[in-house]
Amino acid sequence: MNAWQAIRLVAARDFWERVASRAFQLSTGLTVLLIVGFILVPTFIDTDSVEEWTIGVVGEAPRDLAETVDLGAGDAATVDATSYATRADAEAGLENGEVDLFIDAAGTIVVDDDTDAQLTTLVAAVLASMEISQQADELGIDAGSLTGLFSGGLEVESVSGEADSSDGDRAFAFFATIILFMSIITYGSWILIGVIEEKTNRVVEVVLGTVRPHQLLTGKVLGIGILGVAQVILIGVVAIIVLSLQDALEIPDAAGKVLIWAFVWYLLGFAFYAVAYAAAGSLVSRQEEAQNAAFPLTLMLMAAYFVASFSITGENPVLRIASLLPMFAPMTMPLRIAGGDALAWEVAVSLALMVLTTYGLVRLAGRVYAGGLLQSGSRLKWREAFRASES
Amino acid sequence: MLEIDRLSKRYRDVIALDGCTFNVARGQLLGFLGPNGSGKTTTMRSVFSLVQPDSGEVRWDGKAISADARLGFGYMPEQRGLYPRMKVATQLAYFGQLHGMAKEHAVEATGNWLERLGLADRADARLEELSHGNQQRVQLAAALLHDPELLVLDEPFSGLDPIGVQDMIDILVDRAAAGAAVVFSSHQLDLVEDLCEDVVIIAAGRVVLAGPVRALRSRSHHRYLEIEVAAPASRLDHKFADLEIIATTEGRITLRLDDDTQLEPLIRRAGELGKVHEFSFTPPNLSEVFREVAGP
Repeated sequence: MNAWQAIRLVAARDFWERVASRAFQLSTGLTVLLIVGFILVPTFIDTDSVEEWTIGVVGEAPRDLAETVDLGAGDAATVDATSYATRADAEAGLENGEVDLFIDAAGTIVVDDDTDAQLTTLVAAVLASMEISQQADELGIDAGSLTGLFSGGLEVESVSGEADSSDGDRAFAFFATIILFMSIITYGSWILIGVIEEKTNRVVEVVLGTVRPHQLLTGKVLGIGILGVAQVILIGVVAIIVLSLQDALEIPDAAGKVLIWAFVWYLLGFAFYAVAYAAAGSLVSRQEEAQNAAFPLTLMLMAAYFVASFSITGENPVLRIASLLPMFAPMTMPLRIAGGDALAWEVAVSLALMVLTTYGLVRLAGRVYAGGLLQSGSRLKWREAFRASES
Repeated sequence: MLEIDRLSKRYRDVIALDGCTFNVARGQLLGFLGPNGSGKTTTMRSVFSLVQPDSGEVRWDGKAISADARLGFGYMPEQRGLYPRMKVATQLAYFGQLHGMAKEHAVEATGNWLERLGLADRADARLEELSHGNQQRVQLAAALLHDPELLVLDEPFSGLDPIGVQDMIDILVDRAAAGAAVVFSSHQLDLVEDLCEDVVIIAAGRVVLAGPVRALRSRSHHRYLEIEVAAPASRLDHKFADLEIIATTEGRITLRLDDDTQLEPLIRRAGELGKVHEFSFTPPNLSEVFREVAGP
């Protein structure tokens, strides 16, 4: 059996076992629903008249609730929030028209006959997205920046119609950066957990009796990574179908070159971070330690995202340096290419570094994984694990 | 033939292996014995390159073990583990393929082994839904599926009920008879004594005794003398107080003697206590030999 066959076997197992799992099917279904919701909600809103809506909340209002709903409503309405001490007070407020609806202490949305259906849908969607923020919090991203992500995406679409072509290209590149960021955050943690799986199941000795550690890791990254990309594509296709069904599809005004580069960098960036998460996972042997091991990666990812988002208006020195470094390049180089600022040698150097580091990480992670295998107790230091193995 | 040649390995200040050397031939069923922490697991792991020895070599048929050769081996590690949520048959076929079998062969072998182990009706169950004993059977099947030329099993009998133990014995004997080299570690020495012609005993990372069980027993300088005679325990103790007494019960005493001890005076001494029903002079059994060489 050659290396490629071993990798393919591992990848196929990781891919199909996840596809068959209830958790995966549910999360895919829910994500698709959520995306459809996010697309449909703004278009329900009548853009001609500006409404004034007030949301009541029993107890403390969730942070940014009114602002987020307001953002979702776009130009159609302005939104405020009012707090009530008890449910009875809130019911009275709803009856006398002080508020359009309220959220009770259990998080249930209470409405009456006069409540605008658009508002109800919007609040429901926002509450659902706050659930996402909470999960994002557990990953170490703060809720504010996640909200920024969604609204950032919406803004891009409205800008692209009127801007000049290079701005349109940049907007598209930034949009691709957001997709990459979201993909890595989601599927990075799948890979992280997947890599530890063999250790927690203690199946690792049997598996490593047949395949080399770096083959196992490569297979896992491929299997889970391809599944992740497939899920992103599925969601993208659903979004495009829904948008085109209501004639709301605006193809961003991006040149073909920008599109291809965005795709190339998406794949490279995804591969790099997937492998990096696998390397982090190879250091630990328990699921509880996984997020700690990946924390430096999450920080790097956030930094890359912020450099990109501050540079959407144009070239700057920080962006230029970042676009050459493998951990930042996938989020920053597409912007520079789109803006026409990247020199050919810069792109070449950045690509080469990217590919080499990814390969180096695979080998390093394999070695660390093998070294950490028998010390299944506490978390290993990189150096110790590296020394413990010769392979 | 598997050759373990002068393996040494240390972890910081702990010496795990210290020149461990022995062979396992095709068709041989070898018991690999040693106290906890004596280096059995480290030796077995080094066959699969899960441990890199500091010095020494593991060879198969005279050559350093290549990745391809290793695919023809079967391994049941001490830490049992499979994928808990994966279906039994899918899982076994996967391991068959990891060992280089074509998919259809792996599927076929899976069917045969599940049949043989009485698990054919659980083929589509998730592993975690099986009882502990049945999970062990699946684990064994995962090591056997590809008809390995070398079978390495770390504590295969631990955690098995008597029926499971018998199934395991049958399978190991069968594999050795079919020409595979089989080596397994165990702490159940009575079982090893019945099952294996040959054993290797290691202590502190070194082989302290190796060879046919019968020869190892008779080579010992100790002999055990059991006397059954109609007399109370206290009188027995008193009568043989000058010798090394291992155990005394009502009417029965066990002594440890040198192998050149004259027996006639002892029979006479026993006869002075009453009628002698049994008088047996035997070499130590395997666990006694084990304690002599590997004990503290």
